Amino acid sequence: MIRVELDGQQIDVSPGTTVYEAAEQLGMRIPTLCHHADLSPVGSCRMCLVEIEGWDRPQTSCNLPCTDGMKITTSSNSLQNARQSMLRLLLEHYHDAASDNSHRPQTEFERLVEEYDAQNKADPSCMQDQQRYPIDADDNPFIRIDLNQCILCTKCVRACSEIQGRFVWSVAERGDQTRIVCGTDQTMLQAGCESCGACAAYCPTGALADRMAFRAGKPDRLVRTTCSYCGVGCQFDLNVKDERIIQVTSAADAPVNGMAMCVKGRYGYDFVHHSERLTRPQVRQYLLQETDWRQRPADRGPWVEVDWEVALDVTSRKLAEIWQESGGQAMGVLSSAKCTNEENYLMQKFARQILRTNNVDHCARLCHSSTVAGLAMAMGSGAMSNSMQDIAENAAAILITGSNTTEQHPVFGAMLRQAALRGCPIVVADPRRIDIAEFAVMHLRQKPGTDVALINGLMHLALENGWHDADFIRQRCEGFDELQAVVQNYSPNRVAEITGISEADLLAAAELLCTAKPMAVIWAMGITQHTTGVSNVLSLANLQMLLGNMGVPGGGVNPLRGQNNVQGACDMGALPNVFPGYQRVDDTGISDKFASAWDLQAAEHVDDSNRALDQQPGLTVTELVNGGQEGRIRSLYILGEDPAMTEPDSNHAKACLAATEFIVLQEIFPSETSEFADVLLPGATFAEKEGNFTNTERRVQPIQLAVPAPGEALPDWLITSRLANQVLERTGRTPLGEFAAWRYAKAADVLREINSLTPSYQGITPERIAAGESLQWPVTDANHPGTPILHVGKFTRGLGKFHAVDYLPAVELPNDEFPLLLTTGRVLYHWHGGEMTRRAAGLTAVCPEPLVEISPDDAAKHAIANGDWITLESRRGTLHARACVTNRVAAGVVFGNFHFPQKGNVNNLTIGALDPVAKIPEYKVCAVRFAGSS
Amino acid sequence: MAEFEPVLLANINRPNSFTRKEYEATGGYQSWKKVLSMDRNDVIDIVKSSNLRGRGGAGFPTGLKWTFLPKDHPGPIYFCLNADESEPGTFNNRILMEQDPHQVLEGLMISSYATRTSTAYIYLRYEYPGCNKRLQDAIDECYAAGYLGDNIQGSGYSLNIYIHQGAAAYICGEETGLIESIEGKRAWPRIKPPFPAIEGVFRKPTVVNNVETVACVKHILDRGADWFKSMGVPADPNNPRDAGSYGPKLYCLSGHVEKPGCYEAPLGLTARQLIEDFGGGCWKGRSVKAVIPGGISMGLLGPDELDCPLDFAGPGKYGCLGLGTAAAVVIDDQTSIVDFLHNSARFFAHESCGQCTPCREGTSWALKMLNRIKAGRGRLKDLDLLAEIGDTIGIIPGTTICGLSDGAAWPIKNAIKKFRGEFEHYIKRTNPDGYMVTDPVPVFETTAH
Ligand SMILES: Cc1cc2nc3c(=O)[nH]c(=O)nc-3n(C[C@H](O)[C@H](O)[C@H](O)COP(=O)(O)O)c2cc1C
Ligand code: SF4
Ligand code: SF4
Ligand code: SF4
Ligand code: FES
Repeated sequence: MIRVELDGQQIDVSPGTTVYEAAEQLGMRIPTLCHHADLSPVGSCRMCLVEIEGWDRPQTSCNLPCTDGMKITTSSNSLQNARQSMLRLLLEHYHDAASDNSHRPQTEFERLVEEYDAQNKADPSCMQDQQRYPIDADDNPFIRIDLNQCILCTKCVRACSEIQGRFVWSVAERGDQTRIVCGTDQTMLQAGCESCGACAAYCPTGALADRMAFRAGKPDRLVRTTCSYCGVGCQFDLNVKDERIIQVTSAADAPVNGMAMCVKGRYGYDFVHHSERLTRPQVRQYLLQETDWRQRPADRGPWVEVDWEVALDVTSRKLAEIWQESGGQAMGVLSSAKCTNEENYLMQKFARQILRTNNVDHCARLCHSSTVAGLAMAMGSGAMSNSMQDIAENAAAILITGSNTTEQHPVFGAMLRQAALRGCPIVVADPRRIDIAEFAVMHLRQKPGTDVALINGLMHLALENGWHDADFIRQRCEGFDELQAVVQNYSPNRVAEITGISEADLLAAAELLCTAKPMAVIWAMGITQHTTGVSNVLSLANLQMLLGNMGVPGGGVNPLRGQNNVQGACDMGALPNVFPGYQRVDDTGISDKFASAWDLQAAEHVDDSNRALDQQPGLTVTELVNGGQEGRIRSLYILGEDPAMTEPDSNHAKACLAATEFIVLQEIFPSETSEFADVLLPGATFAEKEGNFTNTERRVQPIQLAVPAPGEALPDWLITSRLANQVLERTGRTPLGEFAAWRYAKAADVLREINSLTPSYQGITPERIAAGESLQWPVTDANHPGTPILHVGKFTRGLGKFHAVDYLPAVELPNDEFPLLLTTGRVLYHWHGGEMTRRAAGLTAVCPEPLVEISPDDAAKHAIANGDWITLESRRGTLHARACVTNRVAAGVVFGNFHFPQKGNVNNLTIGALDPVAKIPEYKVCAVRFAGSS
Repeated sequence: MAEFEPVLLANINRPNSFTRKEYEATGGYQSWKKVLSMDRNDVIDIVKSSNLRGRGGAGFPTGLKWTFLPKDHPGPIYFCLNADESEPGTFNNRILMEQDPHQVLEGLMISSYATRTSTAYIYLRYEYPGCNKRLQDAIDECYAAGYLGDNIQGSGYSLNIYIHQGAAAYICGEETGLIESIEGKRAWPRIKPPFPAIEGVFRKPTVVNNVETVACVKHILDRGADWFKSMGVPADPNNPRDAGSYGPKLYCLSGHVEKPGCYEAPLGLTARQLIEDFGGGCWKGRSVKAVIPGGISMGLLGPDELDCPLDFAGPGKYGCLGLGTAAAVVIDDQTSIVDFLHNSARFFAHESCGQCTPCREGTSWALKMLNRIKAGRGRLKDLDLLAEIGDTIGIIPGTTICGLSDGAAWPIKNAIKKFRGEFEHYIKRTNPDGYMVTDPVPVFETTAH
């Protein structure tokens, strides 16, 4: 410890603490303009001057390390004068064209000018230069630039390079011509800007500002919440004025992201107030006609707006009727990874308790069901083992495979760029040359669908060279001999042939990845969405156990969950085979526990002889959707999902939905699926309700009620509970068990029920969340601190189990007729089926149309130019999109996204082939051809 | 100075002085070969005991600087030879590099050896293509002779030297600006700590020394520390901070003198001696109005201050910033000090790297005021404002990262203080109606370059 004295107060600080930080610890405020704790110090604004006893001139406190015995003065007349003169000097060029700024919050710079009375004292003779730069001339829809207000603190430059790893901003010219500049004097977007808004967030003057908030006024209140887009789980403050969100601002103490955000989180909020929001319940007209309601017309007929009473009455009547006629086995519940834990809990409770079926699933089936299944088999827990910050800071090497991290998990992607900048070698194994490959030391471009061969090949080399961790294997794993036997067959030569990666690259990658300890593996849907999805995941688990990278900081198996709450939806048991907390439905003890907690008493006239819960695992999403056409499934209750958009082979999916007798859709917007719905119930967005999301690293974080839902829209947990009560009533049953009732006054009441029934969530109580704790499950009791790293010392299943898996080719590979291999994914500016992001004006402005990436080779072969509209066709359908000619894809491979509806949806082409274990569709490989270009 | 034999300039007038053959004919590279078998600490000790101080402007003791390097660093350690020479009026480095490049290289090699450097960069001013060619040829000769490269002369020591050309910015001569520039970045000086000896080029320990400094090192190794200390001005025993001014020095003399040029003399020569004994006096029979003692950033000596000794301590005693590069510029009595200061302000407003608030804004503010004075709109009040800027910008008031701002401030301070009468006279003459006005005056001209 080092002892220093500030303005007479003594404090002990650790070595390396700066004078500024020491003052901060004492609660003293030294003015700064260029300093921020997140950014490297530059010491250029010279505002933070302090005097040190025995030194002949003042020093900048933001970069000066404390030394023992230092006596520091933080305020004195001469320091006040010096600071005032810095501000006077800055005002020499500072120029704000607005005459009245009462419409917006004061900037940090304005606050200091006021505090130091610098404006008045300034000699105006040389001040208030004219406007020197054009105002708001950049076409980035999110960021407004007015360099006349720039004081050259370079926070934007450092934020862009050090936080976002993007290097868009730099400094040009010198002397008083010095100015910040984008790229080589380009527009922001041309210079590679990702619109994350970090530059504007750190800017102390408003020279860079959020355009959407410009002139929106001062917020009435700030509401801390969690992002409703991806699984990174950023937190931020919604700025609310007149019951509308006017801006999203960074919250420096956000546990995952600090000040950082991506474009969707920071600027994608306007969908909340979009005019197309569903504001009243609607039902098909036939349901209101006393005589016809049992018989649905083929085309479903027109919509009628009704009040909640009618809507719930009609819905419960129909559901009760189907239940009584065909039983729960004919009914399906599709829950939502976009909704809260509480809502997902209620959806599965609805299925299991009320409908007595395990036919509940959600879109995790389509993204990470193979991860959940594979990791459960290998280790006993299907979640990300380590934390994002841990990996970014502690990994000695990183393998990223099948994850376009910087576009799909942008804030974590930026953290990985930071890891690369600190010198951590990254190997990217991906058929596409994705952005993070630019930060990697190696990019292995395997042919799509050959992942098992690649990973087996790496393990082959690890064993051959003795890079495996024999102790770890002996003490903590089983099944090694079988693995070794299979891996032996994957000689570099054979692997090179299958994957298309050269033997030399394979060896170099193996050496790098297998000798650096700890090494972290990161994946997403490039691994999971295959008919061999489970095998792919098992292979990665094998690799990490073989190398002993489990249960240690900076290592682990790290599947990145796609949607904001896909982890939570799984945790809550919105899956056909498990109750909340992955308690198996086919385990009698568990089943009995839930049966008694949720016990219902049937009225006398009702036959309810079997009060046990269904112990048969239910049907998966794809099976439930297909079930409509097969006649197995009569009704679907869908919460916040859009299967018409997101199922593979969407023409087939639509036909199935059309054939389903009765579909209840609870949504915020009319979607592609609403065409097939019989009832539309208006739900609430993340800004209009309470509850919790669980992010990809198992961290449970709250959302808050910030603005009222539009019209009659209601929080989804409330809708489900109301519906549940009505169905119970219609089916003549009354709650008996401790948690059988559906009387929830607020979301926290649901969470208490979850705490009681879910061991891994037991300690994640409403009280701890309200107290600001940020917990990662398992949290097994009220004092448990949470579990940032899984499998420490022991795997959840006891011993880690190696699974010997062999490479199998994808189901539909290119041939003469369909010569191109199509792989699919998403882009930075959109999210999932695009329901929300297409209704965010700025996001759509940057990315308005479906794009298909085509290699220059294929483009030349088919005379396609960048930007041409083209049509691709597969055996199942066609896609109409703009061609993006790029080296990101190899010759023979094309890449499309599923953000745009109808003809623009790549799922018109994809194949419904499923992984036999996880039932995940093979979105990542099918065969297509050009139907000609225009 | 009759007994003084030139040291650094001894060979520059010999035909083919820039070739290795000629250089070795006069004993060149003997020290290099000798040093290779010496303990590097002994080399450092010799340099330390010579009291050699850096010739680049700041006068920091060279041996001491070398001892700041971490003792057991695994390497690499870098050496940067500062050959940016962009202080106005300075051209001594150029003469050494052009006429006697092997002398510079030998000094650099010895210094690199002493500091355990395996890579040395010569950061060369862009405007010196002649030096570039001579240096590169000389380096090539050294590789051919086995004086550079791997395992030099079987000593186990390896050294490579690369020339890195600057791109015409004054700030690239500032040692941390230079380091950033070598890294391929914009030459924005770094805050210290950490100092370059701990974290320099590519975040590795780094030494930065001037061309003339390492040339002196070569001669110290040739002839010993005592010989070096036999020249110059000893330290003032009453001033513990004074490290003395020893050894030979190259003085650049330019401006209004009869014989401008680069002259070598032991440190301690007075301005008057330099102008009269070497420069043949003020030109055209005029008299000296002012002298810049060591590059424009050092300020001004008045006509009554010509006995100022041009050693490390001298100019400071006359209110100047220091010896700087010992490049004296003579200003005759026909020249306007207002013009001089305007010129100087233009230079610094253009060369400020733009990083520190006081430097960026202060230099341009000063220039705007001088523009206005020159355009006949000056006010007496402006002189106070100028003086205030002069007093508040720079390292010495503690308000900037590097010394450029001091360099900008000193001419202002000295000119206003030492020549205030001339400024007042100028303002009254050119702005007879408005010189007393204290109301705000709009700026009518900005600093478009
Ligand atoms: C603005 C500025 C410009 C400088 N330019 C030079 C230069 O051109 N050459 C030089 O040797 N030193 C220059 N210096 C001094 C260097 O920062 C550094 O002190 C010197 O290179 C150290 O070498 P020495 O110890 O051998 O003198 C400059 C300093 C400043 C503040
Ligand atoms: S734009 Fe803002 S953050 Fe960037 S340098 Fe200017 S004032 Fe600083
Ligand atoms: S990274 Fe994900 S959680 Fe964070 S702001 Fe972007 S979309 Fe939201
Ligand atoms: S003092 Fe001037 S030149 Fe030096 S770093 Fe600061 S702004 Fe740049
Ligand atoms: S805050 Fe320390 S110099 Fe800017």
